[in-house]
Amino acid sequence: MKTMFSLLLYSIQLILPFMAILIAYCCFRTLFKSLKPMRPLVVLLNRATGEKIPIMYWENSIGRDRHCDIVLNMPSISRDHAVFYRRKGGWFISDTNSKVGVLLNGKKIESDEKIFIGDVINIGGVALELCRADVLSLKNRESEDADFDYDTYSGGGLLVLVTIFQVLSTLSVCFGSGKFDYKPAVLSGIMLLFEWLVFVVTKFGFKRDNFEIEAIAMFLSGIGVVNLCGVDINDAFTQLIAMALGIILFEIIVLLIKHADFCMKLRPYVAFFALALLAVNLVFGKVKNGSQNWIMIGGYSIQPSEFVKVAFIFLGASTLKGIQTTKNLTWFILFSAACMGALFLMGDFGTACIFFVTFILIAFMRSGSIRTVVLTCATAALGVAFILNFKPYIMTRFSAWRHVWEHPNDIGYQQTRVLTYSASGGLLGLGVGKGCLKYVFAAPSDLVFGMLCEEWGMILGIIVLLMIVLLAIYVRHAGVRSRSAFYTISSCCAAGMMTFQMIMNVFGVTDMLPLTGVTLPFVSLGGSSLVSVWALMAFIKASDERTYSRG
Amino acid sequence: MRNMKFRSLILYFVIFAFFAGLGYYIFEFTRESRDWAFSPVNRHLSNGSLSGGKIFDTNGEILAQTVSGKRVYHENEDIRKAVLHTVGDGSTLISTSVQSRYNAGLFGYNFVTGFGAPDYFSSNQDITLTLDSKICASVSKKFGDKKGTALAYNYKTGEVICMVSLPTYDVNNRPDFSKDTDGKYDGVYLNRALSAAYTPGSVFKIFTAMAGIENLSDAETRKYECEKVKIIDGEKVTCMQNHGKLDLKTALSKSCDIAFCDIAIELGKEKMTRALEKFGFNSSQYFEGIELTKSVYDVNLASKADLGWSGIGQYTDTLNPMHMLKIMGTLANEGNLVEPFVVKSFSVSGAKENQKLTKTSEKSVISKITAGKMKEMMRFTMKNQYNDSLFGGIPMCAKTGTAEVGEDKLPHGWMVGFSYDEKFPIAFVVVVENGDFGIKSAGPIAGAMVKEMHGIFAKSK
Ligand SMILES: [Zn+2]
Repeated sequence: MKTMFSLLLYSIQLILPFMAILIAYCCFRTLFKSLKPMRPLVVLLNRATGEKIPIMYWENSIGRDRHCDIVLNMPSISRDHAVFYRRKGGWFISDTNSKVGVLLNGKKIESDEKIFIGDVINIGGVALELCRADVLSLKNRESEDADFDYDTYSGGGLLVLVTIFQVLSTLSVCFGSGKFDYKPAVLSGIMLLFEWLVFVVTKFGFKRDNFEIEAIAMFLSGIGVVNLCGVDINDAFTQLIAMALGIILFEIIVLLIKHADFCMKLRPYVAFFALALLAVNLVFGKVKNGSQNWIMIGGYSIQPSEFVKVAFIFLGASTLKGIQTTKNLTWFILFSAACMGALFLMGDFGTACIFFVTFILIAFMRSGSIRTVVLTCATAALGVAFILNFKPYIMTRFSAWRHVWEHPNDIGYQQTRVLTYSASGGLLGLGVGKGCLKYVFAAPSDLVFGMLCEEWGMILGIIVLLMIVLLAIYVRHAGVRSRSAFYTISSCCAAGMMTFQMIMNVFGVTDMLPLTGVTLPFVSLGGSSLVSVWALMAFIKASDERTYSRG
Repeated sequence: MRNMKFRSLILYFVIFAFFAGLGYYIFEFTRESRDWAFSPVNRHLSNGSLSGGKIFDTNGEILAQTVSGKRVYHENEDIRKAVLHTVGDGSTLISTSVQSRYNAGLFGYNFVTGFGAPDYFSSNQDITLTLDSKICASVSKKFGDKKGTALAYNYKTGEVICMVSLPTYDVNNRPDFSKDTDGKYDGVYLNRALSAAYTPGSVFKIFTAMAGIENLSDAETRKYECEKVKIIDGEKVTCMQNHGKLDLKTALSKSCDIAFCDIAIELGKEKMTRALEKFGFNSSQYFEGIELTKSVYDVNLASKADLGWSGIGQYTDTLNPMHMLKIMGTLANEGNLVEPFVVKSFSVSGAKENQKLTKTSEKSVISKITAGKMKEMMRFTMKNQYNDSLFGGIPMCAKTGTAEVGEDKLPHGWMVGFSYDEKFPIAFVVVVENGDFGIKSAGPIAGAMVKEMHGIFAKSK
């Protein structure tokens, strides 16, 4: 009887990685299937030549430069002459500091002007008439929304899979100590109820059909919560609260950034808020594990730098009009320098690195200039060399790197434990709550990848990582379909930031990179980190063309 | 928007960095996960949550087992200490120990399930050793607080009956080695029988004698002249005594340095090196697949006097104890080596049948004639120089050595040998670090060890 039971319990170890692969497959299959071949939205008819220019994107640059979406090669036209873009209210044109201006139905435009079908815009002498896409005798994109695709999975279906996974892993943790413990089951039940509530609200309240991003994020943060049940039920509860707050913040941001132009107006306030947070942190910050990146509010410790990450992406992103009108990045560079300087002062080098890489992503997405990237890297290398010259002791923090087995009881303590317990778990894991790594300091937060490998098995650990990487690959592919360059930039940079943070975390604890003490997105214990990573997911959600198609 | 498609390619730098790192980690994991899993920092091993197979000695004494989830070692502290280096302490620190080498079998570890497979599937193997733990314990105690090693094996079957290494410690009460400042526990994780090589001193004369016999036609018949001091190219080589004229047999028994110094110089660097390499110097020797610390004979840079010193086991010569044991077994067994081993059999827990490990294969290492001559010479040495009473009258062949290791330190004491009577087929090696004269330090340990083995051997007949 006892043997039968232990065999049944162990079979969960076999089913969990299988379920995880299934969830990853269904979510990403649906996401990638949503990227149907692009069809024109409208057509611009060149009155003089009769050329029909199909408009593929929501935001289009018009100018002489060959990088423009609509290239009009006439000497009277500026390199970046105007931006022609679509919003909820219709199509608009905006002059982006051109020399000769833009005429709409013969009248020079001052700011953004709305265009109706049949209107004629004159750009440096070229007259373009706005026509429906059906002049190309092709179906227009919207009408395809009704097409049913057998290869995709509905949001409800995905959440059913996630639910099964969470129920099974909760079973495993309930019996983790040998006797049945009801508390994880209660916690997990609350989590499932909340997840389904979110599904119902977004599906019927916000009338959104796409649920893949939420399903992925729920799957990942669910692993984090259940994993914590095996360590400390109170921590698991805090994590669950953070997850709920994160989802709420996610929905708020998705609604808030519905209008890209509104986001552009919000930017000074967000910048001020972010800098204020950092300043508060510098003044009132508490030192924890060698970095002063915590502040205490009402008994809870909060990591402001996690929220600054979201602001950083928000400020880095821009609509096409914003990019074309403000060519230099001066303000953003100053803001980035302030952030990284503050992080260095706090001693949080890991997060500083994440900001730096994200800065490069943003700078390149906005300028397209490889020179900028090379210059930035060179400047950073010089800066780091300069700092190390004066404060060489910083290096001693990283002296264990690639030598952890020589210092298993001091500077290599955490890395050796991660390696030894990851190996103890094998490919299938020991069962949630049955590990030994959880007794090591910072195990559920920084070392959580080791816990995943030990208790959930290396296969599952790697699937978790792959899902975050697949998100990055997906946003890169979805990129130009989004409703504004704002979403393209913010989603790519958010996914890049998460992927890089994951690299720093996973390869730091496994001694392939120096250990810097950053968290693993979604799974690590840490309220601020979980809330902020859900907020980053909002950018990815917003980049999905389907997100704002109704309601 | 279009150029965003190109610009977003920069994301692939991060994505490729991830896959490169992941690939390398998986590569490292597949190669090293076993070492990681059996690292001494792993609490799964020390907190006893794992079941493990039993380890028996040759008489069925349980040296290690898992009782209600806890790894338990033999109840006698002396036995625990004596077999530590063979059995292991549950970690891979003593890498040559059985528990390190066969940990996958003992603890049901594998790459796929880690330590997680339910008991139903795990097939913990029991291991039976050839050691006699009681003999090991009494031999180990005889070392007192000296370091060193003692080895004995049956040169007909290959079974290692005694293998101890000092210093040792009690697995149930592991001292804090980081607080060890006076070097009491230096190299405590090494099994000195396998993983050490010592200056051999006069036991090396056995090799020089064999090199002489095989390369000089009159090596045994000629008279060597000892006047206590000999000047070679302005450098002094000194003997213990003024032995006068003596033949090889007497020179070996009296351990005359000048005689063997002369043989080495006469043979020259090349012939000496070739002869020694034939006996296994400068190349990898193995014990159950474990590579032994190499025995080294290197006279490339030696002066003429140095070459002389090298012939009497000084200069830069080093000798591994297990290697020497194999040579002793070979000489005893008419030049044929039966490889020694310590793991007698494996069996799956609960199952009855034992999987006998086939070993006893002989290979000719030294010519039968040379081996026979050495056997008689060493018997002569034992009888005339040391007296058979050391071994309680059991006829033995032996040679001691006293290896100078520095001005301010006592020399290493060696005693090596084997039984004359093949009905009691035992070969042994004893090394006592900084133990003073071989006969004074290693002699009594060897004597007690052989006597105890003989007692058990006689009873079993
Ligand atoms: Zn002499």
